[in-house]
Amino acid sequence: MLLHLLNRSPASSLVHRDTLRAMGEEDRLLLIEDGVYGALMPLADRFEAIHGRLFALREDLASRGLDGRCDARVTVVDMEGFVTLTEESERTVSWF
Amino acid sequence: MLVVLRHAPHGSSWLREGLDVALVGAAFGQAVTLLFLGDGVEALVRNQQAGALGQKGTHPTLDMLAMYDIEKLLVDSESLAERGLTLEDLQLPVAPIAAQALPALFAEHAAVFNF
Amino acid sequence: MRYALLVQGAPYSHQAAHSALRFADALIARGHRLETVFFYHDGVYNASRLASPPQDEPHLVDAWRRLNEQQGTALLVCVAAALRRGLLDEREAKRHGKQGYSLEAPFELTGVGQLVDAGITHDRLITFSP
Repeated sequence: MLLHLLNRSPASSLVHRDTLRAMGEEDRLLLIEDGVYGALMPLADRFEAIHGRLFALREDLASRGLDGRCDARVTVVDMEGFVTLTEESERTVSWF
Repeated sequence: MLVVLRHAPHGSSWLREGLDVALVGAAFGQAVTLLFLGDGVEALVRNQQAGALGQKGTHPTLDMLAMYDIEKLLVDSESLAERGLTLEDLQLPVAPIAAQALPALFAEHAAVFNF
Repeated sequence: MRYALLVQGAPYSHQAAHSALRFADALIARGHRLETVFFYHDGVYNASRLASPPQDEPHLVDAWRRLNEQQGTALLVCVAAALRRGLLDEREAKRHGKQGYSLEAPFELTGVGQLVDAGITHDRLITFSP
């Protein structure tokens, strides 16, 4: 199982499409930096295919004024949670 | 190791720097797979030239891949199709890979460098 | 676990270096070792000894240095990417006939081979890009 990191908003970049195509059935996706804009509706719908495997970094949400506005399907993690996700995954692939 | 090239030539240094990682990996004895994905497929288009200011471009480096024993060259079929390209438009013989095969490709390599 | 980070974003231009430093602190707090940070692409600017941010902003170059002091983290800078962008240590500056130098220990100029090596020998390699 791999962890994928995405730091681009789906509103401004299409890289999330390549990310999703590269993801295996168990793989997880963590939204960081500008990627966290994808954790809010309606953009979160772009990640419907990986329901339950979508995460967003709390401090990047908070700094952008988005804390508490995530779609219910997104699991919000703190920096320790980010590290835990990398521990649990064999490898991490960054998309930018 | 898998090196993924996702940027077009000339507009940024990502493609050149990604290719450098592939060449060095091969020189260090690693079995290198190259995947051209997204805008990275533009790296393969024929008739590229140096930039007007003398920027070298990356097309000469592609000719060196065989010399470094980098023979597993894959191109994402969807990325080609989206850009109106076919395998005949490309300067190198590369193997098309279907979208369904991408996850296994990422999973099976011990190291992945995504540029 | 033994971690390596690949940092490709210039400090103060993109969030990549900030994210990498936050992640570095968090992994150390969880009992892991940050053995290597490799700076590539515009990430090489993180090694500038001349960086002079305003006092009320985080000093990223010093933050990298602290990791080296705390953990012995190797701070490796790709020499090919660095020289093109004007990041030279004293030796390279002399070799190229430059008066000043812009990079110093604990940052080290090194080849891309060290990045390949980090990807293979460390338990985890996490990339932070612009």
